[in-house]
Amino acid sequence: MLSNLFNRRVGPDLICVSGKPRNVVEMPQEILKSKVSSDLLQSKLEDARFVVLDTELTGLKLRKDSIVSIGALRMAGGRIFLGDYFYRIVNPRTSLTGSSVVIHEITPSEASECPDIKVFLPELVEYCRDCIIVGHVVSIDLGFINKELKSHFSASLRNPAVDTLSIYRWLEAKKQNACAYHESRPENTTLRSISKKYGISGGKSHNAIEDAYLTAQLFQRLLAELPEYGIRTAADLVRIGKP
Amino acid sequence: MIIDEVVDFLRNNPPFQFLSITTLYEIASSATVEFYSKGTLILRQDGLPSEYLRVIKKGGVKIYIISEKGDEIIIDYRSEGDSFGLLSVIGGDKSRANVLSVEDTICYLIDKKTIRKLIDNNPYVTEFFFKSFLNTYIDKTFKEMHDRSLLYGGGDKLLFTTPLGEIASPNVITAPQSITIREAAEIMSKGRISALVLLDADEVPIGIVTDRDLRDKVVAKGRDVAEPINRIMSMSLIKSDMRDYCYEALLKMVRYNIHHMLVLDDGKLKGIVSNHDLMMLQGTSPISVAREIESQQTLEGLRGVSRKTDRIVELLLKDGAKASNITKIITEINDLLVKKLLWISEKTIGQPPVPYCWIAMGSEGRKEQTFKTDQDNAIIYDDPVSHEEGVIARDYFEKFSLFMKEALIKCGFPVCPGDYMAANPLWRKPLTSWKEAFAGWIKTPTSEAILLSSILFDFRPVYGDFTLAERLRAYVVQLTGNEDMFLRQLAGMAVKLTPPLGFFRTFVVEKSGEHKNELNLKFKCIAPIVDIARLYSLEKGISEVSTLDRLYLIRGRHTAIDELCDDLGNAFEFLNLLRIHHQFDRIAAGLEPDNFINPDKLSILQKRTFKEVCRIISRAQDSIVKQYFPGTTL
Repeated sequence: MLSNLFNRRVGPDLICVSGKPRNVVEMPQEILKSKVSSDLLQSKLEDARFVVLDTELTGLKLRKDSIVSIGALRMAGGRIFLGDYFYRIVNPRTSLTGSSVVIHEITPSEASECPDIKVFLPELVEYCRDCIIVGHVVSIDLGFINKELKSHFSASLRNPAVDTLSIYRWLEAKKQNACAYHESRPENTTLRSISKKYGISGGKSHNAIEDAYLTAQLFQRLLAELPEYGIRTAADLVRIGKP
Repeated sequence: MIIDEVVDFLRNNPPFQFLSITTLYEIASSATVEFYSKGTLILRQDGLPSEYLRVIKKGGVKIYIISEKGDEIIIDYRSEGDSFGLLSVIGGDKSRANVLSVEDTICYLIDKKTIRKLIDNNPYVTEFFFKSFLNTYIDKTFKEMHDRSLLYGGGDKLLFTTPLGEIASPNVITAPQSITIREAAEIMSKGRISALVLLDADEVPIGIVTDRDLRDKVVAKGRDVAEPINRIMSMSLIKSDMRDYCYEALLKMVRYNIHHMLVLDDGKLKGIVSNHDLMMLQGTSPISVAREIESQQTLEGLRGVSRKTDRIVELLLKDGAKASNITKIITEINDLLVKKLLWISEKTIGQPPVPYCWIAMGSEGRKEQTFKTDQDNAIIYDDPVSHEEGVIARDYFEKFSLFMKEALIKCGFPVCPGDYMAANPLWRKPLTSWKEAFAGWIKTPTSEAILLSSILFDFRPVYGDFTLAERLRAYVVQLTGNEDMFLRQLAGMAVKLTPPLGFFRTFVVEKSGEHKNELNLKFKCIAPIVDIARLYSLEKGISEVSTLDRLYLIRGRHTAIDELCDDLGNAFEFLNLLRIHHQFDRIAAGLEPDNFINPDKLSILQKRTFKEVCRIISRAQDSIVKQYFPGTTL
């Protein structure tokens, strides 16, 4: 009920859930064309700017499935900006199956009221300007976003990206060296189980913004551990956190 | 949504809980989140000022400073729901202290602009932050800190932290005591002063003349102004040292009902301080309440004033007073009230046929009462010379004490449920009968006698002929020291109630009932310390009755407990402060003050201190067992 204050309807049938309404209509083409600025990678870890994002999908098959919602948060170093978040529910091109509805609690009728993803893509690109993109198994999210960018704008995101799972594994490997007798066991590497390991309690529901927040908190913990292992700049991070 | 989570968190924590939902959403939307792994130095003393107020969502931090000598002085531990960095955000010059995460810690950061807006628009927020500074900072720093300017800059002059020398007016006008009244008045009117200090031939202050003296002793009496001034000056000069804290001066001024006090440095006159100066320091002053009591002539008038005592406690708490200071001031004020009531009783019933002394017992006797407590009092009167006089005295004091009982009830002191009041014929009798009664309890220490001793042995004269009480005290002291049976019984009482700390260092709380999950601070912790102090002071023939005074005097006289005395004293201070805060909160919430504390609701620092306090009490009880009951275990 409280969240109604912030869930504003903009226009007749556009659900816009955000701290600040954005008015980006035109695609900022220069972001998609220009190379990543070298300043971004040279910044120290504590000054680097990140966008932590998560998407909810109708399924995991890139060809058949599509995006249901996108959630993203900005970070500067280890600091998460709460009010400045990005959350859009889109009209999926493929049908919402029963199983995915259960996960993200967006019903087909809700989603079908929302605009096509094309409307939101320029906003998203602008939101990510000059930031490193962070996500858990982010290659999947980026795969779907870039698929849409290609089909609508013949372009793709050029931001550097890091995967919290890759960083986690890198750190685990570093820690295991210290006590080599640990056998490497198959491990549950979902966002929730790793977060739990770090003592982060997850949001109640499984929507894109809650998961983006969970990812951001996990990333925050990982960032705090990295300097001890010699990771000090954004470039170092990108090197070890490749999706 | 993620903002809702922040709002939910904030609205469960003061001072945010009192803000509107809209304001909370504004704060939450501007907030950021940071994580600090254990051992991170979040703010550095003398480093850049903090740009944010940090509210701890999870974890805990230690706030400490490094003194000039290089010692680490811990100011506070803060945990979930607490905040830090406000002074630095408001001050904007530098960080005052080091803040180190002692656990993995998550904080919500609220920026400077938002905080300024909150403080401007919400008086409650201002008061909360202001109050919590006073409570946490001043209390901790009272003993530890030498350099006060480190924590708060100019302007904050406080009763308990300001030495008298800082507020005393250095321009004392003096005159030789040989001048005439007219000359003195001329000097005073020329200097626009309300008090003139008079010196003897060696320039030593010997007396003081105030406006009031000129009014009462000269004008009203039609005295000749050519008479020497020393005929009307007050000779008993009440003095304070310039290093005394202001509250000590306040205490003396309340006690002697004076308005000016000389401030000395090494015995030399350095300045003068008036109650006006102290009031300026304090807003509403206990002095003004004391004066109001003094000026009342009727029971009805006193009734009105007595209600103001609770307000004084609030002021003192806000000033960060230590518990013993609060109880001392409350005692002075309640004593004034009782004295005035006795004076009214004498006027109503008539003058007593024999000299008497009104004594306070129990916590009132020990000067450890907090808010208004039960009436615990008694009357010792001089031995009548004849049977007839005995009958007259008995009848008089019956009427007198019944009148007092009703008068005290009217002024908000409820009757004692144990009936330890002068109105009970058992507790008003001639000195000889009192001596016999005490001797009986000491020689035949039944369980009832031991119970009585915990109340009656802590008596203190309040009004009347103090020598009666002193004679009884001397008798008791001389009698108890060698009575092993009696002391053994007292020792048994002192170890009967053990502090509420379980085997696993967890608090033992009530399992059910009205006070489920709470513990009785008075029974479990305060009473054992009082009992321990009483036992050892009776053993060592110490006639003081206040627990802190007793502990102070025991030190150096008793090997078994010597090293624990300071700790027990500090523990006693801590417990009483906890109790006063708790009771004050209850009164503020419109509830009856009680002694039940929920240990889960204490801060990390309080919990740690509390556990340490329990450990100290246990150690003291252990040494009692070793001394009095060798071979047994607690």
